[in-house]
Amino acid sequence: MAGADEQKDNTDSIIADIQKRITEAFDMFDHESNKTVDVREVGTIIRSLGCCPSEAELHDMLNMIEEEEPTGYIRFEKFLPMMTKVLMERRYKPVPEDQLLRAFQVLDAEGKGYLSQEELTKYMTEEGEPFNQEELEEMLSAAVDPDKGSIQYKEYVSIMSLEET
Amino acid sequence: MPEKWLHSVYRYTLKQLTSKWYRRCRANLEVRRRLTWNIFQSIEYAGEQDQLKLHDFFNTMLMNMATDGDGPAPLIKAFNVNKRESIYDTQTMPDTSEPSLYSMLNETDVEKSYKGVHLSFPLTHDQLHKMVQCFKRKLASSALTTLHAKYTMELLLEVRKVLKTQPNIRYASTSISKQFTICGDLHGKLNDLYMIFHKNGLPSVDNPYIFNGDFVDRGQSSVEVALVLFSCFLMNPNEVYINRGNHEDHVMNLRYGFIKEIQRKYKSHSSKIISLFKDVFSWLPLATVVDEQILVCHGGISDTTDLSLLAKIDRHKYMSTLQPPGGCEDIKTMKRDELIEWKQVLDLLWSDPRTIDGCLPNTFRGGGCYFGADITEEFLKKNNFKLLVRSHECKTEGFEYTHNHKVLTIFSASSYYEVGSNLGAYVRVQRPDLECRIVQYMAGHSPAIRKISFTQRVNIVEQSALQDLKKRIIACKNELMKGFQGFDPTNSGIISGCDWCFTMETVLEMELPWRTLKSKLVKSDDSCGVFYMSTFEELEVKHRYSGNGPSITETLYKNKDNLETIFRLMDADHSGQITMQEFQDALVILIKQLDIKIKETDIADIARSIDLNNDGLIDFNEFLEAFRIVDNLGKDKTHCIDKADTEEEIAHSPQKAIDIKV
Repeated sequence: MAGADEQKDNTDSIIADIQKRITEAFDMFDHESNKTVDVREVGTIIRSLGCCPSEAELHDMLNMIEEEEPTGYIRFEKFLPMMTKVLMERRYKPVPEDQLLRAFQVLDAEGKGYLSQEELTKYMTEEGEPFNQEELEEMLSAAVDPDKGSIQYKEYVSIMSLEET
Repeated sequence: MPEKWLHSVYRYTLKQLTSKWYRRCRANLEVRRRLTWNIFQSIEYAGEQDQLKLHDFFNTMLMNMATDGDGPAPLIKAFNVNKRESIYDTQTMPDTSEPSLYSMLNETDVEKSYKGVHLSFPLTHDQLHKMVQCFKRKLASSALTTLHAKYTMELLLEVRKVLKTQPNIRYASTSISKQFTICGDLHGKLNDLYMIFHKNGLPSVDNPYIFNGDFVDRGQSSVEVALVLFSCFLMNPNEVYINRGNHEDHVMNLRYGFIKEIQRKYKSHSSKIISLFKDVFSWLPLATVVDEQILVCHGGISDTTDLSLLAKIDRHKYMSTLQPPGGCEDIKTMKRDELIEWKQVLDLLWSDPRTIDGCLPNTFRGGGCYFGADITEEFLKKNNFKLLVRSHECKTEGFEYTHNHKVLTIFSASSYYEVGSNLGAYVRVQRPDLECRIVQYMAGHSPAIRKISFTQRVNIVEQSALQDLKKRIIACKNELMKGFQGFDPTNSGIISGCDWCFTMETVLEMELPWRTLKSKLVKSDDSCGVFYMSTFEELEVKHRYSGNGPSITETLYKNKDNLETIFRLMDADHSGQITMQEFQDALVILIKQLDIKIKETDIADIARSIDLNNDGLIDFNEFLEAFRIVDNLGKDKTHCIDKADTEEEIAHSPQKAIDIKV
């Protein structure tokens, strides 16, 4: 009996902690301090909380919490329960670094150790989910080695994952 | 065939993975950027609040204490700047005929060795040009002198003469120039001013400017910025409009660096120049109206802002807008009209727009108010204006529209918090519809720095913000330790992340996202326990004088800014030195304000220990040298406190762990 109580307490405190994290992340984007955020920034909030949904998945999440008559804003009271659930169930976990590296390596069929800008652009813009021009340019500007003019993917992947911590 | 298929699967996977993962990295970066911004802003406003608390405190003292006796009365008297007799009290003084002005100038000679620019009045374009060039070279090499004290004084007296003829609210028109440029806070950043002139040209009949206050304090070149602006103003008094900001204020200058800068640059002439600046600032107009459609003022408005009332007041009374005008000692005895008038000025210089409707006291800054979109709407309608342009708040983009595009904030000091922290901007208002065109820039860095990526910039700025935050943390070490230990009855050295956040928030009184910051400030174990001692790693308060224990050192350090402000106030002749007695008085007052217990003998000890050369005088350098935060990076950085280490340390000597290194 005591054991069950303890476990329940423990779960409660985990939930409480998760909800505080969500609140902090939300507040950082709540410019008007009225417990709403711009719908365009919700993706950033969700991702900053350690989730990696695809654009389609993000779209579904937004659908769940948007007002019946979309206002362009998302309310905290709707965001909190949805996000708590996602985090408790550990959904949309990020891809491990080695898996990403593996994908790069396969595409670099010749084993050069790098991809050219053109190659990466081609992969990122063809089929599947759209990666828009702005995102692409940003990504290239961060990924392209300024001296070599190509993407040294091994370095790039490790730099980017370093920044996650 | 299967190979090709596999390839396409991988391509698809890569794309999926990369974009998900890339977007997550971007999100993290964005959060870090915002976090950094929050830290800087919290620290900045905490400073302003301190300043105001100090004021409230002194005002209370003024009301409750007799001005004679042996108490700290001289200090209090010194504090009331508005009451202190200005050397050049213009209200009663016929201007140019006043012999003391000339004698002051005559006392000052230009040495033969002076290599700077020579001025004669009226100023010529050539002279202005030379001065601008000279300051530019000075930026590159600090060995060069600034404008000579004599010319500085002459210039300030000329400016004052012209300012005196101007009304509180000036009216500007675009009928000749067809356009108008408005600049926001410059805060002593000459590079930004030059960037604006470079992009937008020097002021002239065709190119009028409004400088919307706060051109001094904080930056390193407040003197130069002020002199260039004033020269431009003298050359084109009808095309250059200078509004007063909340930093064109003697009391603010005491804390935020302008006084210090003058003392450094003018040495023995500084006291005269400080007095002159103080006086000139009080003559600056309060607002400008463009084409009867745009109101330009530094802070904003309130629900009581009344331009016709503002037009009538005697602005020169407000040597400092933070104190009751005209030497009135007791706020309670002030007439209602006087209070209303004072509030009008405060609101104009100190307010910030907020999205919440209505008008609330500005608790964050402590002065002025927050005004909502409804207040703006009502005010604009009543006065038949279409826009309010204000400055006063740093914005990442250098500008921001709020209140349904009816309020434009413009801030012209780029890299205000740290290299790359924000863009600067100015706005060009153009005929026929007074359309606003915003121009943004980042001034004064090598092309290499300008080109750094977003990621690198976030890194640099974040480091500097965390460093500043750490300093505040160290200053509160004792209180924080007490808080942490309260959650750690067994002295394990570990508390939960939640308790750590709670302690940080309540002790530091800073509303920051501590959960997000946690990983950057302390070490944690796998199950989210925090090794709280690691909060204080790398930085420690160092005090040359032992014997007073850590608490007094910390207390003094924490209040270093307050003390320095008090010192500068007490130093009525701006000589940079005060007596031992005055120093002790300052401490007594501060201690009383903070409601802490320190023995009288300790205070005397401290005072003595600071006066290194035993001449009975304390100079600011001695004082500042005595307390400083030392970056302990010199010691082995790879050494991490692991669990065993911490436990042992705390178990054997809990006291030792919190001692401050001497």
